[in-house]
Amino acid sequence: MILANGTLLPDSRRKDLIAHLEEEINVTRTGEPLDAETVIAAVDALGKRLRSGEFDALLAPFFPFISNSTHLDTLRHSWTELDTSGHSSTVLDTPGQSSTVLDAPGHSSTSLDGSGHSSTLSDLFGLVCRETLEYKLHAELGPELFGERRFSQTTARLLPLGTLLHVAPGNMPGLPVYTALEGLLTGNVNLIKLPRADKGLSLAALSLLTRQEPRIAPFLYAFDLPSGETEELRALARLADGVVTWGGDDAVTALRELAGPGCKLMEWGHRLSFAYVAGYEDRQSELSQLAGHIIETGGRLCSSCQVIFLDARRREEAEEFCREFLPYLEAAAARRPGLGAGAPASLSGHTALLERIVEGRTQGERLFRGRGCSLLFRPDEELELSPMEGNVLVKCLPREGLLAALRRKKGCLQTAGLLCPEEDRPALSDLLARAGVTRITRAGGMSAAFPGEAHDGEYPLRRYVRVVDVEK
Amino acid sequence: MLSRQRLFWRWQPYDLPGSDAAFLRACRDNAAYHIAHCPDYAAICRHLDFAPEQLQTADDLARIPVIPTLFFKRRALFSMPQWRMAMKVTSSGTSGRFSRIGFDWGCILAEAPMVVNLGFRHHLVSPKPAHCVILGYRPHKSNHTGVTRTMFGLTHFSPPLSRTYALNLVDGSYVPDLDTVAKTLKKLESSPFPTRVIGFPSYLWFGLGRMEELGLKVRLSKGSRIILAGGWKQHYAQEVDKRILYALTEKVLGIPEENINELFGAVEHPIFYNACEKHHFHVPVYGRILIRDPDTLEPLPTGRVGLVNLISPLMAATPTLSVMTDDLGYLTPGEACGCGRKSPYLTILGRVGMTDIQTCAAGAAELLGQAEGKGEAF
Repeated sequence: MILANGTLLPDSRRKDLIAHLEEEINVTRTGEPLDAETVIAAVDALGKRLRSGEFDALLAPFFPFISNSTHLDTLRHSWTELDTSGHSSTVLDTPGQSSTVLDAPGHSSTSLDGSGHSSTLSDLFGLVCRETLEYKLHAELGPELFGERRFSQTTARLLPLGTLLHVAPGNMPGLPVYTALEGLLTGNVNLIKLPRADKGLSLAALSLLTRQEPRIAPFLYAFDLPSGETEELRALARLADGVVTWGGDDAVTALRELAGPGCKLMEWGHRLSFAYVAGYEDRQSELSQLAGHIIETGGRLCSSCQVIFLDARRREEAEEFCREFLPYLEAAAARRPGLGAGAPASLSGHTALLERIVEGRTQGERLFRGRGCSLLFRPDEELELSPMEGNVLVKCLPREGLLAALRRKKGCLQTAGLLCPEEDRPALSDLLARAGVTRITRAGGMSAAFPGEAHDGEYPLRRYVRVVDVEK
Repeated sequence: MLSRQRLFWRWQPYDLPGSDAAFLRACRDNAAYHIAHCPDYAAICRHLDFAPEQLQTADDLARIPVIPTLFFKRRALFSMPQWRMAMKVTSSGTSGRFSRIGFDWGCILAEAPMVVNLGFRHHLVSPKPAHCVILGYRPHKSNHTGVTRTMFGLTHFSPPLSRTYALNLVDGSYVPDLDTVAKTLKKLESSPFPTRVIGFPSYLWFGLGRMEELGLKVRLSKGSRIILAGGWKQHYAQEVDKRILYALTEKVLGIPEENINELFGAVEHPIFYNACEKHHFHVPVYGRILIRDPDTLEPLPTGRVGLVNLISPLMAATPTLSVMTDDLGYLTPGEACGCGRKSPYLTILGRVGMTDIQTCAAGAAELLGQAEGKGEAF
């Protein structure tokens, strides 16, 4: 199905539609602009209908869990997460590449916040309301928003980038809607390539939005592009002033090829996070919170701890830490609900061990097995993906070597959970920030969402607008 | 490896104690073969301190390095060059990652007596020609899935007169066509020959449900059978109580419960498990099953629920001697069944939440779900 200008059309109309899309978009962009208030009012009204239970039947199958937060960025964070597998996931169907939209091990649409509560549909309700959207706009674009800034000879205004092509993977339900919403808030025309696994949720939601506010309709086009339709995607990319991709390196690389020069690329890729332990304020509580985070997120989120780095040099110190920390991890693992809940941990951990054996990478490592979890001491300083599902890596990384080690992972750093004495926190936070980390939290808050926070070091809305200077 | 052939040519398929010595011998030979021919497997055994001589009693089987199916999905292991293999088979039908498993000629030579022996014992073999309706994939040279080959193979238990498929390749992807299946079944009603419906249980369930809704009833000729293969296990969400399915089969197709055969197997462990009259999967002499603690992977005593570990010395092209599925299940002593077979039987409860693992039936179910969404089913 296709959503074009508020109308649902069969796929058979796609070629024809794309052929005339440029003219349609030009008409839209010549006419009345879409202002943020129109979008906010429409989303807020839809949110009220959502909260009244009107769409429960539609949504229920898609949202077993939703992030427990009242801030949109939680969803943003949970949505970029994943594919931490190291086997990158391909969103685009380029020839000669199999199209795997969803291939992170143990990948699930579950998102957990730092406080450890998995959440439900009702938590979505707080996200689609006026206050949240206004907060986001102000936090990211500043108080002036789309007003004029006057300089001596010119005035400067923020305008939409123009036309955005969004390519979203199917690993989180609702992500295509979220990314489209960001495009709409900034007044852009949005072309959305729907993921294969979408199963109608995004089309239904976007179509409801255009019915709620018909002025939004000309700014929204959503396509089900099947495998192998690279040409059509290329045609869409040609129309776009900017391409927004969510996904792994393969997806990003494929889109870079499609988007011509002059087309701005906005890439929300996969990230790695870690904990840095340089002492404690409250040892038991902090270790217990870190263990809770590792088990609850299962290593599946971009913000999940993959490696626990210790501000230490000697292997014995690391092994001592493993012996101390393992019971905390086991205690958290024991709280997993359900029959056989430890099985993914055991299977992932064992599979990862076999992989290291056949790759000849077991030299110098030491495995501490727990019930439904494990700690693996490795004698290097690299930030890398853990075996996930409650199997986490432990490495020595003295603070003098921190920056050098993290720089080797530039472009994929995200959160550092910092455990240290209070007096060291400012200096260590500063060091981590300079090394390229974009979020620094406490032990339990690695995957928590904070109001007003950036996404992977950027305010997304700022990337979807441009500044226009006009001489007086 | 004559020990393997000796095991698979045994006449009594459910006498486990009687076959223990032959089984252990075949496992020792199989492990030694893979260690000698697959450096990766040798490295795994070395790292885990395993040597084939350690296999002296049935309890020692737990010492064989167990390889999760997840591992085979990430990495292919082979113990012989490809030109020596009879075929390579994959585990997944349509999407996700899949295992690549090699089949050697000796394995096929060993499987033949197993399939024929069990086929006779479970009344699958018949000299009377039959029409086949396959609720699964139409074979194609691009399709290497084990289940496609298995279903095609299953059409040969009686001389096949015709084959109708529910999943056909259209423009490079499989499209379900239950409409044609229903029409074919209606036509076969007037045939003097019996019909064999072979396929995924989920397809049978959806198909029968739809036929009932439409008020379609078919009386197939006497001797018609239903052969279910390719997994109940992937389908917990819609898993129907089997009794309801049997009743529906009788009502809509006129095929009684005793003419329904259920099969179980995996690409990594292609042992021909047949359900008995009481619908239990007894372990045949060609394989052994261990249940392992989900938290520690240590073996559990009979009756306890855990991860299902399948062991068989069947394959020489890929080291699948001991593989760990991501299924949770338990074993029950054979005596508790009442069908007379003494070997324990396996009950599968569910699959653990590893979404990395996509199976053929799950893929097929996905296709069906899409078709339903578009209103194409029937």
